Amino acid sequence: MRIGIPRALYYYRYGVLWKTFFSALGCEVVVSPKTDRAILQQGTHYAIDESCLSAKIYLGHVAWLMDKCDYIFVPRIADMGRDKEFCLRFRAMPDVVYSTFREEGVRLVTCDIALREGKSEAKAFTELGKKLGFKKQQCFNAYLLAKQAEQKQEAENARKLDNALARSDLKVLICGHAYNIYDRYVGQPVLDAIHTNHALAIPADWVDRDAAWQAGCDLTDTMPWMVNRELAGAAVLLHDKVDGIVLLSSFSCGPDSMTDEILTRRLKNIPILTMTLDGQDATAGMETRIESFIDILHLRKDGTVCL
Amino acid sequence: MEKAYLGVDIGSISTKGVVLDADNNILASDYLWTEGDPIGATKRLAKSLEKQLDSSKYQIVAAGTTGSARKLVGTMLGAVVVKNEITAHAVGTTTLYPDVRTIFEIGGQDSKIILIENGVVVDYAMNTLCAAGTGSFLSSQARRLGVEVEQFGEIALQSKNPAAIAARCTVFAESDLVHKAQIGYSKTDIIAGLCRAVVVNYLNNVGKGKKIVGPIVFQGGVSKNAGVRAAFEKETGLPVIVDPNGHLMGAFGVAILARRSGHEAPFNPDVADMEFVTRASNCGQCANNCERILVYRDGKLIDAWGNRCERGAIRVK
Repeated sequence: MRIGIPRALYYYRYGVLWKTFFSALGCEVVVSPKTDRAILQQGTHYAIDESCLSAKIYLGHVAWLMDKCDYIFVPRIADMGRDKEFCLRFRAMPDVVYSTFREEGVRLVTCDIALREGKSEAKAFTELGKKLGFKKQQCFNAYLLAKQAEQKQEAENARKLDNALARSDLKVLICGHAYNIYDRYVGQPVLDAIHTNHALAIPADWVDRDAAWQAGCDLTDTMPWMVNRELAGAAVLLHDKVDGIVLLSSFSCGPDSMTDEILTRRLKNIPILTMTLDGQDATAGMETRIESFIDILHLRKDGTVCL
Repeated sequence: MEKAYLGVDIGSISTKGVVLDADNNILASDYLWTEGDPIGATKRLAKSLEKQLDSSKYQIVAAGTTGSARKLVGTMLGAVVVKNEITAHAVGTTTLYPDVRTIFEIGGQDSKIILIENGVVVDYAMNTLCAAGTGSFLSSQARRLGVEVEQFGEIALQSKNPAAIAARCTVFAESDLVHKAQIGYSKTDIIAGLCRAVVVNYLNNVGKGKKIVGPIVFQGGVSKNAGVRAAFEKETGLPVIVDPNGHLMGAFGVAILARRSGHEAPFNPDVADMEFVTRASNCGQCANNCERILVYRDGKLIDAWGNRCERGAIRVK
């Protein structure tokens, strides 16, 4: 059985968990390729205009997978508990994908995670495996294996963070959703520009999720979204360990607009660059912003710009 | 022979150039329209600067470029420094005004604020990729009102009762403006209101949460608008300096950076007579189909860029 996974949205957070789960059950996993212009154009074609860039990209990846697998995996994650909610666009994704691609005969599998309704992750994945015809115990074992792989990845991230913080380079925290930071068409040019200017980019998802979420609670107690609370917390935890922060978000993201606002108001004595991307083809404007931002960080740190 | 340094700032609208001596004194300068032809404008600029410069006394030993065509013109001039205009402006301003604490800058599409303590940049903010509240916003509203944007400042200063206009978003501002006109506000009050809206938007956007301390230097194209300057003074309660040579600040800053770089690459004044041609070429090796720019000098490829990955790289022999 071939399971297709769109390389978009929370693939960049839970991809290891998902891939390990399906592989452990003996499924073949097809992940759509990195975003390119064709995928973005497909996504823009299928999405409603008001949709955020990231959700448009998601639909482009679904379109790419349409004839390349038996099922496309489109999970629903509503929440992981109190104040650990997920964005509505993501929660609605199984329905959006189904209604968008219904006439083209889309076959999708989903799972339903909503801890506040008693639907745990373990339960959701067991149900998912059963729907695909596997035995309950087999599914649960696959989930445990997937969880181990996820923990290994988190340990790896923690190590990357420690290594990065120990270096003497100019450091920039990239505070944004992993699906924006690592997308080749969205965040990658930003990471490249930071690298070209001889600075070190630290993605927010290298920070331990629980610690970041906890730190986010110290900043705000009203923010409902789990990942955005983690992003805010990552900025709080690292703001005195890095030289600057780039708030990277995709256009018309509601949760990010609120998080960015809180951070720019609350964090003091650290230069912050807010960057909202909307699939601009020309990267010149972005490059100018990054270059000048890093120059200013250098001026602030050493009193001179890097020539 | 004394050493001199060339700084060129090639924006989408205007091209500026200065030649400095080792003590930052301006030996030659010019300001002309780019007219959609950065190569042609740079040639005209080079000719004009050459004429002004005493070539028996000074030799240009290094060039720097800034502005949106900095890369193209940097290749053309063999620049030792190619720097973004924001940094160039910051360096220029802090050199000319060592005591400056706050720089307001509003250009055609950018707006930013730079905070300085003891000559060192301590904080900084910039607009997101939206041009609301910048020069292009004022230009488009000027067209709507049938007034030249250059006259905005003078007209605004005559108003005693500026209309309240929201400038957070250009679309909302436009409907607000139409509404104010239809209920009977005079053009003078609307224009003054627009200038004030730009300032309020700026202070609430890039200036949000920033402690604004004088001396304040205001630069960028919009700084030529006396109405906006007056509105800044009113809102901040502080005097706002607009340098008469403010338009040369980017070229000035990048000339200083060229000197500071320590690299020397004697500038060839014959550049004005060489033939520079650019050609666009689509890569076509993947779905991104990147558009690459190839630059030729007298028929020989000297540089190329625009590819997003290595596959599209063009080697210059």
